[in-house]
Amino acid sequence: MQLLGITLSAALAIAIPTLATAWAQSRIGPAAAASLAEKPELSGTVIIMIAIPETMSILGFVVAMFIMFRAGG
Amino acid sequence: MSRVRVLGPREALSRTLEALQDLGLVHLSAPASRGALATAALEPRQLRLERQLKRILDDVRSATALLGADEVRTSASHPPGPWGRTARLARQVRREAERLQTRGRALEEERALLAKYQDVMAVFGKLFERGVAPGLRAYLVVLRAGQLGSVERLRTLLDGSLGRDFELRTHPLPSGELVLLLLVPLSNAPRVERLLGESGVEQVPLPRGYEGQSLADAVPHILERLHAIPGELEEVAKARAQLRQRLPELAEDAAAVHDRLSQLEGLRLSASTPHAFVLEGWVPTTEVRRLTTRLTETVGPSVSVEELAAEHWTAEAPVVLHNPRLFRPFQLLVGMLPLPRYGSIDPTPFVAIFFPMFFGLMVGDVGYGLVLALVGLLLRRRSRPGTSLRAISEIALGCALFTCIFGVLFGEFFGDLGRHWFGMRPLVLDREEPRDIVSFLGLCIALGLVHVMLGLVLGVVSAFRGHPRQAIGRGLSALMLLLITGALLAAFRILPHQLLSPLVVALLVAFPLLIIAEGLVAPVELLSTLGNVLSYARIMALGTASVMLALVANKLSGAMGSVVVGVIFGLLFHLINFGLALFSPTIQGLRLQYVEFFGRFYSPGGVQYRPFRHWRNT
Repeated sequence: MQLLGITLSAALAIAIPTLATAWAQSRIGPAAAASLAEKPELSGTVIIMIAIPETMSILGFVVAMFIMFRAGG
Repeated sequence: MSRVRVLGPREALSRTLEALQDLGLVHLSAPASRGALATAALEPRQLRLERQLKRILDDVRSATALLGADEVRTSASHPPGPWGRTARLARQVRREAERLQTRGRALEEERALLAKYQDVMAVFGKLFERGVAPGLRAYLVVLRAGQLGSVERLRTLLDGSLGRDFELRTHPLPSGELVLLLLVPLSNAPRVERLLGESGVEQVPLPRGYEGQSLADAVPHILERLHAIPGELEEVAKARAQLRQRLPELAEDAAAVHDRLSQLEGLRLSASTPHAFVLEGWVPTTEVRRLTTRLTETVGPSVSVEELAAEHWTAEAPVVLHNPRLFRPFQLLVGMLPLPRYGSIDPTPFVAIFFPMFFGLMVGDVGYGLVLALVGLLLRRRSRPGTSLRAISEIALGCALFTCIFGVLFGEFFGDLGRHWFGMRPLVLDREEPRDIVSFLGLCIALGLVHVMLGLVLGVVSAFRGHPRQAIGRGLSALMLLLITGALLAAFRILPHQLLSPLVVALLVAFPLLIIAEGLVAPVELLSTLGNVLSYARIMALGTASVMLALVANKLSGAMGSVVVGVIFGLLFHLINFGLALFSPTIQGLRLQYVEFFGRFYSPGGVQYRPFRHWRNT
């Protein structure tokens, strides 16, 4: 039961931020593509904009790993 | 950069502009008009010439695009006009290109239209070739897909109306439609046409140009035309290829047109009195002497070059990024953001060190590093010097070098294959071990601290001249960051615990000073800076994900049972991992540069240095 709880916690720790990232990127992506079509010189800014939400997934991944390691998984 | 003013007699203006264009050093800008000095306006004759030259360029661009050719490269020096001949040539090539394109499109459309009948011909062609017997009338009907029921409805209607006095045949087409051939006595034709209308079927309309003919007469002509079209298309392609051979000549002329247009633009940027002219612009400081000497040699001693004092123009000076050969490819990455303002810090050398380092730290595998080096070398061989592709290839080689170095330190060669095959051992960290992953995280955060601190220090240096208060604020932020890190390390007993109290006291003293220097936003800024440092955890996250995927690839390929299947599966999985390893670490590495590092000191808004010179598209 404890193992299930740990595994589920780790899964949620990465799943929820990843869903949030996906939602954010789904909004940013089309806007970024439209901006690039009109102003190709914005490519650097667009990379930043798209990469910013990924922080959530990455930190979620770090947290999930810590949960697993703490539990000795 | 130095701002220079070129002065001379008015009649020497054209020669001076030509000399400046030959030299290709001065970024021209309009001088401020004052007193008798008036900004130059083009004469009606020059305005007409400008319009003519722009039309020539439009014709050349259209012709090049219509002929589907890349822009033709030209030599650096170009012969001048005569513009009338150039205009005629450009117009002639453009018109011929338009004519050929229209002809080609018409032929393609005709072929596509006639091809629709080809399937029908394939089924009933022989019947039409022999002709329908006298006294009979043939109807060719196409039923849309999914309307097969109409055939039976039609057959029932025909049975009721004509008895057995008709022949009905059907054949499915590749497109899913059904072709229906109906033969009836000529005398029954009006009744049959009414029944066809009632049953809701659609008769094949003949293509344009064949409307007046019967289907039997039209078929041979349609087939003949279908056979003739490819030959005509080939002739059009040959004519296009011949026309394309005239593009290099046209490109040379277009280069001369560009040069003349630049000179007219240069004239616009000049100012003059009734007897003298003034040109102003920016020149790299090291080139001022060469500019003076060359102008004196080519135009004469009547033209003088004067260097203006720096304090009046620094904000508007153009920017050119100039770095050592080793760092130059990384200007491509800096160039993805707006240029740094003149006088601020060019971050290229720092990007050239930290970007490949972060990339290598994330991928950290000798095998992937070698594959990346191979890709980089291939790209390098296929690219020309000075192009973006060449820069990308050299960046890839830099990343490959760091990937191999960290691969050796982590003991990774396509995951754990190196350990099984060559007995590789991790020298610093074993990224497969949970305990070492925590150390890896610590290493990444420490690296982030160094990177962000460096950004803050560069921010202090950058702001020191113009905004001393801002410089003090950034210095205090850097100090606070150090104090917080020290206090945390002392709290966790990594540093001696006795240091904790002095560090906390120092923090309490520095905090109000920071608010005085930067205002109430300072605490928010400080929190954002701490967040930036923690953001470097992504290096560990992506690195761990990369090594885990490589391990999974090896384990799964080992569990396949068959050696061949296992090897193929392993190669595919490693290929996917390599693709991910190219994409994610690049994006995240760039993000760490652009957001976490540049955010501390970078001042965008610089104007690109564009010297007045001969046009070239090389």
